[in-house]
Amino acid sequence: MSFVSVEFLAFTAICTAGYYLIPKRAQWVWLLIFSYVYYLAQGPQYIFFILFATAITYLGGLWAESGSKAAVPVTLLLDFGMLAAVKYTNFMIGNLNGLFGTEIREMRLLLPLGISFYTFQATGYLLDVHWKRVRAERNPFRFALFLSFFPQILQGPIGRYGRLADSLYAEKEFDMERILRGLYRIAWGFFKKIVIADNAALYVNTIFDNYATLRGYGILGVLMYSAQLYGDFSGGIDVVLGIAEMLGVSLDENFRQPYFAVSITDFWHRWHITLGTWMKDYLFYPISLSRWMGRFGKWCKTHMGKSTGRAMPICVANVIVFLVVGVWHGPAWHNIVYGLYNGLIIGISGLLAKNYREARKRLGIGKDTRWFYIFQILRTFVLVNISWYFDRAGSVGQAFMMMKDSILHFAFSINVVDAGACWSGSQTVTFCAILIGCAVLFVHSVMEERGVSVGEALCRKPLPVRFAVLLLLVLSLVLIGSEPLSQGGFIYANF
Amino acid sequence: MDELIEILEDIQPDADYETCTTLIDDGILDSFAILSIVSELEDAFDIRITPAEIIPENFNSAKALYAMVQRLQG
Repeated sequence: MSFVSVEFLAFTAICTAGYYLIPKRAQWVWLLIFSYVYYLAQGPQYIFFILFATAITYLGGLWAESGSKAAVPVTLLLDFGMLAAVKYTNFMIGNLNGLFGTEIREMRLLLPLGISFYTFQATGYLLDVHWKRVRAERNPFRFALFLSFFPQILQGPIGRYGRLADSLYAEKEFDMERILRGLYRIAWGFFKKIVIADNAALYVNTIFDNYATLRGYGILGVLMYSAQLYGDFSGGIDVVLGIAEMLGVSLDENFRQPYFAVSITDFWHRWHITLGTWMKDYLFYPISLSRWMGRFGKWCKTHMGKSTGRAMPICVANVIVFLVVGVWHGPAWHNIVYGLYNGLIIGISGLLAKNYREARKRLGIGKDTRWFYIFQILRTFVLVNISWYFDRAGSVGQAFMMMKDSILHFAFSINVVDAGACWSGSQTVTFCAILIGCAVLFVHSVMEERGVSVGEALCRKPLPVRFAVLLLLVLSLVLIGSEPLSQGGFIYANF
Repeated sequence: MDELIEILEDIQPDADYETCTTLIDDGILDSFAILSIVSELEDAFDIRITPAEIIPENFNSAKALYAMVQRLQG
């Protein structure tokens, strides 16, 4: 049951209506039932995995709270062991066969939907209990809801127990304003997904899947991928947050105008925020503060001087974390290069931070220098787009070849896609739909960047204005949405 | 406290550490700065800071940092 389907909208409407009609103390049970029905509808074969993660982490949390030293490693091993087994076994077999010429047969493994997201959420909870940031949940059914809340289970945002639990289990009154806010957010999410992402996908798939014949179109392809990925993922998250809003549940934001970032570090503070903060809290800090990294830091300080020596272990930890981010994106070498690319840029920037600060001082470039601010945004956008080549290409070789052709054989044509594949039968109309969608998104992003919450500003307008905007968004989906919207799965639901 | 302020100003000079109470909330200290501070505090005050201590409440102000250092020394 895809988000972009009539069935899902009907499912959400029934869930929301019933939620406010039943006794309030049963609301969280209602959500648990709907969450499991939703997950079962994705395929009953997946249910074992989420039940396993729930049971193991629930018991692990209670065990960790009792003070046992074995609780965390054993539970983490089981949780991540399951994730690694289903996601990376065939990647390892393929590499072993390639390296040693063996003929180990690949296994037929299920990749349960959303497994990365609920595994990360579960292990974050476990470590929070271990570090005494939260108390372990006593009720296994309430814990089961924390891991399975249906809007977020397939593509996040990755929730934190300390922030999510209260709002998930609290009793809620019906509030029309909240419902309208949620509906607006859902419509905005579908606009990004259907108008921008699905149309841009036509260009992306054509150019990347035929890169050997369509040489030189890499820049058009990667810019379209920028639009597609952002529209798809952030649009999906808007739908998730909108549904949660209607149900009175507060989830963490996952995006904050990422293409206005002034550095790659800043980009990761704005893109897939909940993955970034998860990595920072549960991997980056523990690695950086481990005893062996402390010894490495002392060695660096002795041999490289105070400033570089202090930064070096942080850079190494950073590269390790981004290596994991790359692997998380999928078991393939181009994803590992994608992670390393980000990690190395951030690591080197950290190492040179003091030099940058001094150079800017000498050149008289202040914090508020406008041209430098715009230069930083454009520079970061280019760096991010280079990373998208690795993310989208099927192999490292393809990414490098497309980059080279982008410069040496530059080509551009909006007619590169097959007219028959366009919903309107015209490449020009499809291209214009993408441009209009991106222009609307740009204005929305500028307003948000300036501190205007578009959703809240809209809620202060008279009711007819709000309905008119909602209607306009829905109409745009019908009029300029791409044809294959009914098949529209989300990219990040495959993680 | 003076030694602590000196460490903070060396790592991230663009802040008023006497008055600011939102060093984390306002993004003045990023994760790089936080770990640099941890490294210096461990050396200067002979303490060990674990991941459990890396929470905004401990890093939002110089005063909070100082309180953490004293607690870990005790």
